[in-house]
Parts: sequence; structure tokens; C-alpha cells
Amino acid sequence: MTNRQKKLVRLTACAALLCGALPAAGAMHIMEGFLPPSMCVLWGVLALPFLLAGYFSIKRTVAHDRRAITLVAMAGAFIFVISSLKIPSVTGSCSHMTGTGLGAILFGPSAVSILGVIVLLFQAILLAHGGLTTLGANVFSMAVAGPFVSYGIYKLCQRLRVNKMVSVFLAAALGDLLTYCVTSVQLAAAYPSATGGFFGSLIEFLGVFAPTQLPLALVEGALTVVIMVALESYARPELRAVGFEEGHKA
Amino acid sequence: MRHAHHTHGVRSIDHLAYTSGMGGWNPAFKTALALGTLVICLAADRPAVSAAVILALAALQKAKGGLALHDYLGLLRVPLAFLLLGGLAVACDLSRVPAGDWSLSLHWFYVCAGADSVRFAAALVLKSLGAVSALYLLALTTTACEFVGVLRRLHLPGLLTELMYLIYRFVFVLLDTHGRMREAAGARLGWRDFRTSCRSFGGTAAGLLLVALRKSRAYYDAMAARGYDGGLAFLEEDKPLHAPQLVWMAAFWAALILLRILTA
Repeated sequence: MTNRQKKLVRLTACAALLCGALPAAGAMHIMEGFLPPSMCVLWGVLALPFLLAGYFSIKRTVAHDRRAITLVAMAGAFIFVISSLKIPSVTGSCSHMTGTGLGAILFGPSAVSILGVIVLLFQAILLAHGGLTTLGANVFSMAVAGPFVSYGIYKLCQRLRVNKMVSVFLAAALGDLLTYCVTSVQLAAAYPSATGGFFGSLIEFLGVFAPTQLPLALVEGALTVVIMVALESYARPELRAVGFEEGHKA
Repeated sequence: MRHAHHTHGVRSIDHLAYTSGMGGWNPAFKTALALGTLVICLAADRPAVSAAVILALAALQKAKGGLALHDYLGLLRVPLAFLLLGGLAVACDLSRVPAGDWSLSLHWFYVCAGADSVRFAAALVLKSLGAVSALYLLALTTTACEFVGVLRRLHLPGLLTELMYLIYRFVFVLLDTHGRMREAAGARLGWRDFRTSCRSFGGTAAGLLLVALRKSRAYYDAMAARGYDGGLAFLEEDKPLHAPQLVWMAAFWAALILLRILTA
């Protein structure tokens, strides 16, 4: 590892210490039944245009090249498995990556949005993370807002000629943070506080989840960098095949 | 095996779904029962209805599904971290002056809670647990493939159901591969300390993507060799719907609605 990477790992180690003190198993999926029906519908409708765009983009890719179907499915399975892996932490608590930043950087945000729906549905029925009625809200925060912002940051950093690994870190960490903020906004909109209204409630939700989510975002960013370093050194041809580097096909 | 599957999140629910005593029931019926109960529980929005749903579904899983109560309670603990934190945020309120029935001074501001808001938060957590029970009725008795089959019959686009079938199968292939990689890394003391763990984590994840891409090519070739032309057809077991089941479902829903009216 280079010196810079060593520093990065040390920095995240401190963050992980904080993180390890708290249980955070999939804490940011809004659980089944937690949102009132109107909010479930609202967030589902808001996520719909992105999903349709993703569906059409995948449909085009598969029509163009039939072989892409197993590639796209593998990408989905990869995102699912990455998001169910336990992150190394000093005290051995179990936190999970979201994988949205990595997925968006590797496969492009529109493909991730539609794969995200399938992954979130399977997370609900195979892992009991999230739920069916809250699927729309979770899709909006984790499969739409997170990936699109991650991808935007990544592209912006590239335009500004920021170091590639710094841009990967920023994309993954900020994408993760944004996911957490969007979820808090969703919860606050559903349950505004009696005295403080929407913003009072927003601060509360941001506050209760901050101790687990802030370190997690940093760890996610650092791990995404470690994964990208490994991929860059061993798998350049494969990265080009999934669309990383020169323009996304999906 | 019975106890080993507790530690693997994905495998445990899948395993329970395959071994469930309700596995022989019609999957469309189970989906309808779970979703209908879910909607009633959310629409009724009464603690009594939520509690009835939780108890009735736990009894059903135990009696008909043959699920050990210990397993079921363990699974109900999964959403607890979220529910407790979320419930806390709903129950409490931040304010510059003391308000409500209890307030805790934190120098710059007060954390306040009133009896009403606590009651509201408790009802919300109970409702959410009821909804989770309904979700479990689906998840623990119906295999993911059968569920996708139900979605296919509801005319979800073919591309999506096909992706779902493939992703579901690939998830287990990749989990298995990743398990081996973890073990191999462990045999080389790869999880010795935090720094090494991070390196191993990145290495295994990157390796996993490589294996996934290579396998995706091999699987397409295997599918094409077996005549794949854009549609996956699976042999599905014929699981007939029994009239008494429908009657029980209607009676259960009627009882829940009656309970809602009585507690209005």
C-alpha cells in the first residue's frame, strides 16, 4: 500500500472504532409498516420515472446484445452480496455496506436503479431488511438518490481532474451519507414533530441514526477505494467490459 | 444444520421457506393472505388489531408452518434496532423550553416527551411489528422462485422476472464463492487485525466481481447450449387452492375488521 492509502486506512480505523461500539445491522432500511400509506405511495411514484428509465436502458442493452442478460443479473447478485457482507470492524459488531456507490461507479446509475429494486425486494423477503409497503421509499433513497448522486460526484471529480481514488472515496462516502439524509427526510415528512414541525423532526431522525451512519459512510468510502484499487490492478479488461472507464453502455 | 443457519442471514430465511410446513399451500393464496393482512394492519392503525395480527400469525407459523418459536422470535429481532431508534425519534421532541410530561436538559436544548407522543410511538412500533409478521408469513413460507412465479402471473414484464430468477440463483453462487474466499483468506491469517481485514475485504470483493463476470459468460453459454432464446421456463409444482383456506382467510380478515370497528 502507498503512504496515502495507509493514512486513509488509519483514519477509517478510528471511525470504525466508533462504529463498532453500536449495532447497526441494516439500520437504514425503513422497516415494513413504519410509513403511513400515503407516504408509501408518494415515494413509489417519485421513484417510478427513474425505474422506467432504468428498465428501458437495460431492455435496450439486452436487445442489443442478448449475452448481457447474465452479465446484468450477475451485477445485481454482486450488489446484493456486497450489501450483505459484514464490514470488518475492530469490535466485531455487524454493519453492512450499502454498495450503492460501488454499483453506480461500476455499472452506471440507471442500471443500478432497476437492479436496486430487485435487490431491495430480495432483501425484504430473504433478509427481512426493509419491506414491501416501504419498498418505494427505500428504492428512492437507496436505488435512485444514492446512486445518481454518487455517479454525479464521481463524474464531477473526473471533470475537475481530482485524483481517481479520492473521487471514488467521495462518491461512495457522500452517496452513502445522502442515502441516510434522504431516509431521514422521508421519516420526518411522515412524522413531523408536534412543536418543531418537519425540521425539528428531521434533526431528531438525523440525530438518532448519526452515530451509526456517519462512521459507516467513511468506512464504505474507504472500502470502495480498496476494492477499486484491487480491480484496477488485476481486472482492467473486465472493468472495461462492464462499462467502467470509457462511457457506460447501460 | 438446524442451528448453523442462524448465523447466515440470507440462507436462514431461504432455508426456513423451503422446509416450511405451509410449503404445499398455493403460493398465490399465501401472497394474497400476507398482503391482505398487511394492508388491513396498516389501514386499521389500531394497537389491538396490530397485536391480533402478531399473535394470530405467530400461531399460524407455529401450528401450520411447524416453525420453532425460538427461530421466529429470533427473526422478529431483526428489525428491532431500526424500530427502537425510529420509535425514539417519534416519541421525543426537541425544544428550547421544557415541554410535555418529561424533559431532559442537554444544556443547549431539551429532549421532551409527552404521554401522548410515547403512546403514539408505541402504537407505531406495534403496527410495524404486525406488518413485519405479515411480511414473514410470505417470506418464511414461500420460496423466492414461487414468489417470482406469482409476479409473473401478475404480468410483470418478462425481462424483470427473468432477471429476478437469475439474480436469485446467482446470489447463492456468489455467496458460496465468497464464503470460500473468506475461508481461504482466513487460512492465511487475513482477518488477523483491522488493517489486514480491510485489505482482505477489498481483495475478496474485487475477486468476487471477477469470478462473477467469468461465470456470467459461462452461464450464458450453458443456457444457450440448452436452447435459451429469451425465456426461462421452470417446472412448477401444481399446488391447488382449497376452499376451507379461503373461508379461513375471509373469517380472519372479517375478525380483524370487526376488531377495528369495535375499538373505534
